[in-house]
Amino acid sequence: MNSECRTYFERISEFLDGELDRDLCAKIESHLQDCPECRECLESLRRTIELCRRMAEEEIDPGVLARLKRAVLEALNH
Amino acid sequence: MQGESVVNHMEKTASNPSDEQLVASFREGSAEAMEIIVERYGNRILRFGLKMCGHLQDAEDISQETFLSAFRYLDSFRGETRLINWLFKIASRACMRKRRKKKDEPDREISLDAWLPERPGDEGRSYQIPDPDAGPDAHLDRKEMKKVIGEAMRQLPPHYRIVLNLRDVEGFSTRETADILEISEQAIKTRLHRARLFMREKISEYFEEEAYG
Ligand SMILES: [Zn+2]
Repeated sequence: MNSECRTYFERISEFLDGELDRDLCAKIESHLQDCPECRECLESLRRTIELCRRMAEEEIDPGVLARLKRAVLEALNH
Repeated sequence: MQGESVVNHMEKTASNPSDEQLVASFREGSAEAMEIIVERYGNRILRFGLKMCGHLQDAEDISQETFLSAFRYLDSFRGETRLINWLFKIASRACMRKRRKKKDEPDREISLDAWLPERPGDEGRSYQIPDPDAGPDAHLDRKEMKKVIGEAMRQLPPHYRIVLNLRDVEGFSTRETADILEISEQAIKTRLHRARLFMREKISEYFEEEAYG
């Protein structure tokens, strides 16, 4: 990792989220072409985010929602 | 009328009411509107509470507090943000309050610098993160993966965990998350980046041990 890599590394989440301006984006894209380490870094981070997103699905028992609704309505009626 | 039948009924009789319509009906005293709001967003708030606190009981407390507070103050809701964002704002405060009250969870504001690659010896560190798009029989067992991610998330300090949940799990934008937590967009970006690095390190550690352990 050279100093260029380190500078870009700090912005890599924003890069993945499409939050960088066009200039910086283009610079990072061109750096990625020549730097396998940064490509690996980017890909592993992208996978991490995707896994967090998919694995977060939580099946909540329908009884829990019914209980919540009951509790809220009862509390408001008193 | 109970359970899902309210929604079914609304769908049969009228079109699915928008949040704005529900808020307006609530102001006119409709209890049905409240029921539909809880049915529509209850699971998301419950899930968020569960991810933040780790216990179903805490998640239920937080969700109750959120909806009760929402209905008490719904008159002050001006609609400058979406209803769901407003609910998450209330829920986030409830989560952080609950955490402060807890004695068993120390305020671990650990430094995440350790997960930056400046760490000596990390040059060219390669990470073992399974491909989310690999087939089910690749070494990505869904149940196992959920456990690994859940455990890693619980180890994240709460200020980072809440940002990761709002951004990457719930899908709020940086600006929306900043508004929900009432902190700057820059703070959201910094915390999110570090939280993701932390998650990557933890997931990778797990699969490295799997491979060599
Ligand atoms: Zn590089």
